[in-house]
Amino acid sequence: MKPLLSTLWRSTFGLVALVSLGLALSALLIGFVVYEVAHEALEEQLDHRIAAETRALLVENGRGGVDEVARAIRQREAASSGDSLAYRLVDHTGQTLAGSLDAPVPAAPGYLEHLVDKRGDRVSQALTTALADGSRLVVAADRAALNETDETILTITAIAFAAMLLIGIAGAWTVGSVTRTRLREIDSAAQAIIDGDLSRRMPLDGSGSEFDRVSATLNRMLERIAALLDNLRQVSSDVAHDLRTPLTRLNNRLDEALSTTDEADRQLAIEAALADSRELLDLFAALLRISEVEALAVRRHFSEVALGALLDELVDAYLPDIEASGHRLQCEIEAGVVVPGDRRLLRQLIANLLDNTLRHTPAGTTISVRLSAVDDHAAITIGDDGPGVAANELPRLFQRFARSERSRHTAGSGLGLALVAAIATAHRGRVSATSNGGFSITVELPER
Amino acid sequence: MRILIVEDDVATRQFIVKGLAALGHQISSSSDGRDGLFQATDGRYDALIVDRLLPGLDGLSLLRMLRAAGNRTPVLMLTAVAGIADRVEGLESGADDYLVKPFAFSELAARVHALGRRPALQAEPQQRLIIGDVELDLARRSVQRAGRRILLQPREFALLAELMRNADRVMTRTMLLERVWDFDFDPRTNIVETHLSRLRAKLNAGGEPDPIETLRGAGYRYRGDE
Repeated sequence: MKPLLSTLWRSTFGLVALVSLGLALSALLIGFVVYEVAHEALEEQLDHRIAAETRALLVENGRGGVDEVARAIRQREAASSGDSLAYRLVDHTGQTLAGSLDAPVPAAPGYLEHLVDKRGDRVSQALTTALADGSRLVVAADRAALNETDETILTITAIAFAAMLLIGIAGAWTVGSVTRTRLREIDSAAQAIIDGDLSRRMPLDGSGSEFDRVSATLNRMLERIAALLDNLRQVSSDVAHDLRTPLTRLNNRLDEALSTTDEADRQLAIEAALADSRELLDLFAALLRISEVEALAVRRHFSEVALGALLDELVDAYLPDIEASGHRLQCEIEAGVVVPGDRRLLRQLIANLLDNTLRHTPAGTTISVRLSAVDDHAAITIGDDGPGVAANELPRLFQRFARSERSRHTAGSGLGLALVAAIATAHRGRVSATSNGGFSITVELPER
Repeated sequence: MRILIVEDDVATRQFIVKGLAALGHQISSSSDGRDGLFQATDGRYDALIVDRLLPGLDGLSLLRMLRAAGNRTPVLMLTAVAGIADRVEGLESGADDYLVKPFAFSELAARVHALGRRPALQAEPQQRLIIGDVELDLARRSVQRAGRRILLQPREFALLAELMRNADRVMTRTMLLERVWDFDFDPRTNIVETHLSRLRAKLNAGGEPDPIETLRGAGYRYRGDE
């Protein structure tokens, strides 16, 4: 019984059915209470009536004895209509003196709830009183009205109970089937997605019901998953594409090393092949690094990083390179800007930005490095007054293997800025690129 | 050098064993962490190469137990993951150097050489490095060549000190980036090259022979005293 009850609670049908059953039982209980109260009240009312009548007849008895009582009874019976009181007056021998009540006179005086007449089809409530001369007076009231009321109450209660039970079961079935229908739609959508239709979404009817809200949430989750899958697919195809070129080159060089007879040529080919394989390994290392940073597992190594000192250190490291390649440098570094972060990652972020600018701009370009605190953010901007990047290339710039027109002819994995974006995100920061009379990338990092 | 290699991957182990044996080192190897620790505690090795992930006992625990037992043999730790956290953890556990797989053999060989004789250097920190006519004062941060004072930028000074400290040993570009600039990544630009060319220009301004050799595809080496 217990497992059935606990499973019933869990289905909508069972839940509604149980609630309806509870309501029907309450109706039954209320009906029973009403019956009891009404029954008692009516019996009491009858008692009052016969007691009052008996008192009136006893007054007659006091005035003129039994004969006067008999006269009064005859008078009352003559004037009465159907359902009024019935009387019987007998003397000490049991001889009827007056009254038409066709029932035996109870031996003992007092109230009697069920006085059955001689034919057996009338039940009365009666009060028997002994008079001084040994005669007995019975005043009786018919219980038919009382029984009728009782019956009516019981009937109404039974009907209410049955109706509530029926409505409850019908309601439970309706609610259950509506729920089932909605859930079946969601279920079949989920099944379709499992079977490979990733574009399928949960049905919405715009009602704003709880089903709609759950469906909408599920749809947002599916969108997110789809976007991640898309990204993954894009990355894997990019990886495959970007690996093909160096792998083909490696293959050709090894082929060349095998086929050549000249020892010096062979040496050169093998060295070139080694350089190619190293480039491939670098590519993988960069990809792994991005994945690691994106997994955000780096936050536990965060400490306070003074960005000004870090920028100074990197500018110092890059200055010979910047000058040797004919670039100029302009620095505006605000002192005292500190962010929580991973020093090594932030160093790499800045180095990648400097690398990027240095490699993709012609000699004579001025590179600008700026650090400022804006509200609760630190903003690092590294820019140049070079030829810039086309506006339509800006959005893709921070994706893996993104190559803008200006970087197409220079060496590079196309992963540098993707790593910059990943590091900024790991620091709960943002990166943005602008190309407006030059090109610049701004990294905003929260100071708290 | 007597070197112990604790590495469970057969291909990697053989690659290292063959390569180092060809350079004239005496190599022992183990494929299990517990066995590796047992062998290492013999203490007769000049250097240990320990993989981070090992059956029996992982590399970090091996290292901690070894150090706890008072064994100071220099350790080069290998790892398959380029984890930033792993690197820090490895060095904190007592590794002297850290190398991420896959690596070029030349990189491994250079690092193993750099490990040799390291403890002796650490035991008595030198105030001055004097090789030939070049004299570098670590405390006063000054450099003289043949009595001529040479003014160096801080990074140029650090670069020269690192090269002189490891005289006669090959320093790879990656090692220099790690030790002089604290870069645990390889920038695509020529930081090492440009700094070296400036350093050379200042060092050899008097027409002396260049003490820094460039070994193509391998790295740089400071010529020591004969």
